[in-house]
Amino acid sequence: MRKRLNSWSWRMEGTTQTDAKIRTEYGTDSSSRGPGCSLRHFACEQNLLSRPDGSASFLQGDTSVLAGVYGPAEVKVSKEIFNKATLEVILRPKIGLPGVAEKSRERLIRNTCEAVVLGALHPRTSITIVLQVISDAGSLLACCLNAACMALVDAGVPMQALFCGVTCALDTDGTLMLDPTAKQEKEARAVLTFALDSVEQKLLMSTTKGLFSDAELQQCLAAAQAASQHVFRFYRESLQRRYSKS
Amino acid sequence: MKETPLSNCERRFLLRAIEEKKRLDGRQTYDYRSIKISFGTDYGCCMVELGKTRVLGQVSCELVSPKLNRATEGILFFNLELSQMAAPAFEPGRQSDLLVKLNRLLERCLRNSKCIDTESLCVVAGEKVWQIRVDLHLLNHDGNIIDAASIAAIVALCHFRRPDVSVQGDEVTLYTPEERDPVPLSVHHLPICVSFAFFRQGTFLLVDPSEREERVMDGLLVIAMNKHREICTLQSSGGIMLLAEQVLRCSKIAGVKVAEITELIQKALENDQKVRKEGGKFGFAESIANQRITAFRMEKAPVDTSDVEERAEEIIAEAEPPPEVVSDPVLWTPGTAQIGEGVENSWGDLEDSEKEEEEEEGGSDEAIVLDSVTVDPGVDGPSAGSRDAPIVLSDSEEEDMVILEPGKDPQTIRTQTVRAKQEPVPSRKPARRRRKKRPAQ
Amino acid sequence: MTEAAAVAAESLAGSKARAARTVLGQVVLPGEELLLPEQEDVEGPGNAGERPLRLNAGVRSRVRVVCGPGLRRCGDRLLVTKCGRLRHKEPSGGSSGGGGVYWVDSQQKRYVPVKGDHVIGIVTAKSGDIFKVDVGGSEPASLSYLAFEGATKRNRPNVQVGDLIYGQFVVANKDMEPEMVCIDSCGRANGMGVIGQDGLLFKVTLGLIRKLLAPNCEILQELGKLYPLEIVFGMNGRIWVKAKTIQQTLILANVLEACEHMTADQRKQIFSRLAES
Repeated sequence: MRKRLNSWSWRMEGTTQTDAKIRTEYGTDSSSRGPGCSLRHFACEQNLLSRPDGSASFLQGDTSVLAGVYGPAEVKVSKEIFNKATLEVILRPKIGLPGVAEKSRERLIRNTCEAVVLGALHPRTSITIVLQVISDAGSLLACCLNAACMALVDAGVPMQALFCGVTCALDTDGTLMLDPTAKQEKEARAVLTFALDSVEQKLLMSTTKGLFSDAELQQCLAAAQAASQHVFRFYRESLQRRYSKS
Repeated sequence: MKETPLSNCERRFLLRAIEEKKRLDGRQTYDYRSIKISFGTDYGCCMVELGKTRVLGQVSCELVSPKLNRATEGILFFNLELSQMAAPAFEPGRQSDLLVKLNRLLERCLRNSKCIDTESLCVVAGEKVWQIRVDLHLLNHDGNIIDAASIAAIVALCHFRRPDVSVQGDEVTLYTPEERDPVPLSVHHLPICVSFAFFRQGTFLLVDPSEREERVMDGLLVIAMNKHREICTLQSSGGIMLLAEQVLRCSKIAGVKVAEITELIQKALENDQKVRKEGGKFGFAESIANQRITAFRMEKAPVDTSDVEERAEEIIAEAEPPPEVVSDPVLWTPGTAQIGEGVENSWGDLEDSEKEEEEEEGGSDEAIVLDSVTVDPGVDGPSAGSRDAPIVLSDSEEEDMVILEPGKDPQTIRTQTVRAKQEPVPSRKPARRRRKKRPAQ
Repeated sequence: MTEAAAVAAESLAGSKARAARTVLGQVVLPGEELLLPEQEDVEGPGNAGERPLRLNAGVRSRVRVVCGPGLRRCGDRLLVTKCGRLRHKEPSGGSSGGGGVYWVDSQQKRYVPVKGDHVIGIVTAKSGDIFKVDVGGSEPASLSYLAFEGATKRNRPNVQVGDLIYGQFVVANKDMEPEMVCIDSCGRANGMGVIGQDGLLFKVTLGLIRKLLAPNCEILQELGKLYPLEIVFGMNGRIWVKAKTIQQTLILANVLEACEHMTADQRKQIFSRLAES
């Protein structure tokens, strides 16, 4: 109980901080914006599959991922956990069979989801997220995270916050690019992917590739936090549209 | 996960409806559900929706050495995957009977019908040929997987473009899409599967069964045919006896259906090609139905990142500098070195229960004790001699640490720590140890 | 620039806890925090002078609010855990100064058993004294053969595997196997029991079921005018319907399925067209 209260008061501080941040962010002149600092066009369709309990297809530019969620559903006895739901993530590549790269991404996505899904509300059940890569044109992991989040929301799995994925790339002269394309990722010196939560834009997961300094890491994180505001706004608007008739 | 069972009332209702020539979704007996074909941005990528059944197809290619007995033929490979996304009962990585049956049928329909000219896939006879791989993923299962998969496979093959190659003498040059336009495969004809479900021992028949209809059917007849009315493969399963006239009637219906579907495929392909040529927008993003309230899109959004540098600097300035690391290694004995200061040994203050476990491990696993002992011959004598006495209960790791202590007599330190550990739980443990030891001896 | 300002304002609203009263009927997203009415008073500046007068102020501020699906207590606020429209129901009778019930109306498909819910289940197995019933939750519910009207050890109910059961949950919580009965507390069937062999079963979202079961639901009244029908709604998203002919049953099922995403006007058009044909 004490722990709960602590984290709560701390959260209050966090909120006021982000408020201040947003204000300064939009107060400054936006003409100095770099060419790479924009998100590609986003599209999302929910509930497009009839069989899973929740589904979403998420597009970021030409990158596209389809997600299906089952849960809380029955669980195999071998995987049963007595005090919380068993969360499983399956990532399927488009060509060939899943390999080590997919397993590693599955793990990253699962850890992110475990941080926000309230699994303790449904003990001895399974929550399965199946992700299918439809096309990879850069920032694939971020797109997987976004698709997983929208599918979880569609399935009505209880969560304490939403999450989103943002990929940043640093090219050879240190220019920062958000939501890079496959070509930009290939030419980049470093590629960083972050998962952020919607309440305080806190970091849920990060994975990096390549060389970068600590200052650049912080820059990328700050840029990802700014970008996450747009993603969450996109989530909100698409969900408002979805519930517009009910 | 298990499939939701089919109730008796659904089964009865479905069969009675079929007898009255009615279907759940309002179709007629010979009607297909609506077919939607959309293409991805890559070549050879397509999505086929047959009602709510959805299949994703992707064709890829690579240069491989040909099969020994077919030196001048390219290789065609089909792989249909039943993803758990499609239905809860599909388990990942399991070769179910249904999957094997569907893959075999696809191969017979598309490879054995020689619809793709495999000889044109040969680059250097006996050395290099193209292997064309067709990956099909079932994304949503609402019945009639085979028809949707066969359409997806042939559409993806027609849409696919492979890199151009040229051969000059022994030299094979592979061109990127920028250098030379990729070339399409030569497709002779388009074989398409048409499924017929039979009910009441073949008295009633339905085209394109849905998932619930499949659950109550008695038998299934699949006819693969092209638009020239050539039957490419024919399979009857489920163990029903069909009359020759029934099969003939089915093949006639299949002919009509195949003609319709072929026309649709060609239109879809032409449309996609036109859009690509004109430089318009293409890909799955364009095929999302915008009017649906479940769909939403956002145009390219600029993100203001002008202040990230300042914010990063702030955070770094606030952060504590990382502690200095001592990096000169200390060599204790030959083969043993230490870098840094290490952390304080916390093995001594274990909790009671934990300690017992540790001790048991240390005591029973003699190999470890001996291992560590051989490092320093000075410790060997006393520790070996006092094995039956309670002192030996210290675990092996602790002895390791003791050995590395410089300038002190290792033996005295060890007995000290052991005594400190002994104090909270006296007298009980030696007895336990002895009990445990006896059967071993 | 104006757009940027609007964004800033919206983000502000998004990250700060809003009062539950002001967002009633609006779409809420997981992670949002909602303030309860009494807390608004406490935090608002207007009532600051009144507070010291109340001796048991601390007790007063503990409002009795019931959190329905999609909401959880988080400290003294409500945390939204599901996406949907926020709904509120005033406490019945207005006694004990309760804050009523808040819940989130979502378009979920997966059912989670709730005590007291009436559901349609499919019998999957008979084992000894109990039937195993599939209700669409994470595990099958158990149903004793004695939990039918007039059932005794001698006089067992006639239930086969694959039959449909309309029953009520008496035990349903996250840690235990759910248990169903087909009798009310007086031992009467009260409409529950085995559903007949005819008719059609189909699945819709849980939100649509709640909409249809709401008092004075227009859809049902309009349906009733169309054909004479027998209909059973299970809170687990299953509907069983039976009309005079197969054709009529099919029409009813398809209309009900389509109702979810239709506005009232579109629905009226469809019903009038059906009535003509």
